[in-house]
Formats: sequence, structure tokens, C-alpha cells
Amino acid sequence: MRQLVVVIALVGLFAAAASARPKDQAPLFKSAEAKHFTTAEGVELSPAFVDYFYAELRNELTKAKLVNEVIGEGEAVDDADAAKSVVISGSITEYKKGNVVKSALIGFGAGFKSLRMDADVVRRSDKQNLCAIHVHVKVDPRWNEKVMAKGAAHEMVKEMKKALTEGGKPSAPEVTKPS
Amino acid sequence: MAPLSLWNRSLLFVTTSSLLLSTSGVAADEPKPKPENTITIQLGDPVPVQKFEHPPKFWISDVTDRSGNPQPMLVLKERGGIFLDKQPTAILKESIEQSLKSANLLAADQASADLVVRVYLFHFGLASGSVLDLFGKVEFSGMVKNPKTGESQEVKATGTSIANGAVRKKNIQKNVQENIEAALRDATRNFVRGTQLKDAVAQLYKPGELSTSPPAASTSN
Repeated sequence: MRQLVVVIALVGLFAAAASARPKDQAPLFKSAEAKHFTTAEGVELSPAFVDYFYAELRNELTKAKLVNEVIGEGEAVDDADAAKSVVISGSITEYKKGNVVKSALIGFGAGFKSLRMDADVVRRSDKQNLCAIHVHVKVDPRWNEKVMAKGAAHEMVKEMKKALTEGGKPSAPEVTKPS
Repeated sequence: MAPLSLWNRSLLFVTTSSLLLSTSGVAADEPKPKPENTITIQLGDPVPVQKFEHPPKFWISDVTDRSGNPQPMLVLKERGGIFLDKQPTAILKESIEQSLKSANLLAADQASADLVVRVYLFHFGLASGSVLDLFGKVEFSGMVKNPKTGESQEVKATGTSIANGAVRKKNIQKNVQENIEAALRDATRNFVRGTQLKDAVAQLYKPGELSTSPPAASTSN
């Protein structure tokens, strides 16, 4: 009986230590500067979308704990910290408005709003491209574009974290978020 | 004047009463500032200012509201409204001055200042976000001017913040307050730590050259 209690206690301790390890992991970079994304020709999104996406991207970066500090666009960084700082820039390459009727009649993702974005993560000191992210987000056409921005920012940071922790692959695979 | 027929009188009654009802309805929907729906926005700890090669003394001469918002103190109209206790211009001026003062970069008065900043506020409060959360935004630009040479340069700053939405009025008020405070802090930080301010100071304030160079022609604001 006593042996069983000891074994259970050891297993519990081991599980607790294993779950605590990722939380204690130090962020990869000291600071990250997110820039406003540009829109490609033909992309019909409101200027408020880009503004909101910028805010949401910074919010997701803070939540992901990928960096110590998320700084605003155009903020100065100490020269000593430049090697451990990154700049995130990108563009919205494609946006399809979707179709409510098609979505309601067919379903299964038909008529969904679609958004494609590209982003580059560049080291501040030597401008080396650490990773390139391509994100494809699909949302229900009845949802407003800000909800789409929220989903896109979440996917973007998730892919960024994956690419940077795996050793900075040149290009991450395309991600599709159905809803 | 001929007396109105029964039909005309009833028509007049219906029109008048509907007009009165609609105006009273509008008046009831318009929120009013009360102590329980008024929030105080504060910067909290001063934002650390960047290091300058030749640290100048700044003076915030004036903050002008260019938002075009007819009710700048009303930040949220729904749920009985949420109001600010001060004008956004006063809050912004206070926060910039507080940060400059903590870094010993605030002049005692305009006459003794090396660089005078005139601020134009474009947005303060909540902006249109998704229905799931609150999107706080503070946007302004500062016209940094050297009073001795008359040269000036524009410095833009933006601060954003995303906060969770809420259902209860008390929680909404708390989240809105935290959200605007975070956006104000972010915008102040963007201004005092921005490369634009660094470039403006480097271009406008050269203490060594002032005694030798003649005053340049004044530039427009």
C-alpha cells in the first residue's frame, strides 16, 4: 500500500514538472515590432481592418509569450538588444467577400469569406529573414471583418511560434481555418 | 378659418402624438454623465523616455482636439453610457508631461524650453472592433518646434489595446477603463520612444551649433 502511494506521488510530481516546463521557458526574443500590413491591389478591405489587425496581432504576440515585449510601430530599440529583436511586416494578398446564400444553401464551407496574408519575420540587427508565414483564413460570410482579423492574427502568431521554435524554417505551410 | 372635420382632427392628433413620442424616446436614450458611469483615465507609472544624445527640455504648449467627435467625453453610448471625467486633450497632455518630467526632460516654462510641442489629437477612446471584444485606440501627432530657429517637424504616435468584452455593466466599465488606459500608455510610449521623435530632436536641437549658425527661416506648422 505504502509503495503504491509513493508511486502515485512520484507520477504526480513528474506530471506537474512536465506541465510546468513549457510555461517556464524563456521567450525567444527580447522585443518584436509589428508593422501595419499593406494591402495588395484589388483587396477591398476597409482601412479600419488593417488598424484592427495590427492591434490584434500585437495582442496575440503578447499572449503567445514569444517575446518579452511587443513594441509599437516605429519605436526605438537599444543597439544592444537589436540582435534579439524582430520586426514583423506583411501584406494582405487576397480577400474574397463570400456569399451568404451559397453558404446557407450548400454549407460545408461554400461561400465563406476568404483572406490570404503573407508575413516576414526579420531580425532587427542584420535584417535576416527568420521565417516567412502564409496564412489562409476562411470565416462565415455573416461575420464582420474584424472577427476575421482576430482569427487571422491568431493563426499568424501560432504559425510564427511553430516556425521560430522549430529552428526558423524558410517558409511555413499554408494554414486553413474553416471557421 | 373653417372648423376641422373629425377625420382631419384625428389625423392631427395621431401625427402630433407620434412626433411627441418619438422625441421623448430620443431624449430618454441619450445618456447623461453621472458619478456611477464616469471613469478616470490615468497613465499610472510614467513611460520611460528614450535616451537622447543631447537631451533637450520639452514644453507641451497646447493639445488640440482634431477628432471631430461632438461628444469627446462619451466613450460608450450603449448601456447608459460611459463618460470620461476630463477632456481627452487634458488627459493626453498630463500623460506626456508626466513621462517627460520623470525623465527630467520637461522645461519649467515655455520660455526656457529647447523644443516646444503642439499636439493634435485625432482619436481617443474606443474604435470599431469586433463584437467579441473592445478595441481602444489613441492617435495623435506632435508638431515639435525649435522656438529659436523656428524649424519644426511632425511626430506621429498611435496606441492600441484589445480588451475582453463583458456582459455586466460594472465589468464593461472596468474593461473600458483598462482598455483606454492601455491604449493611452501605448500611444505615449510610441511618442516618447519613437524613432520619429529621435530624428526630430537630432535635426532640430543641436546645442553646439546654435551659437554659431544664424536663425533659419520659419517653417509652417
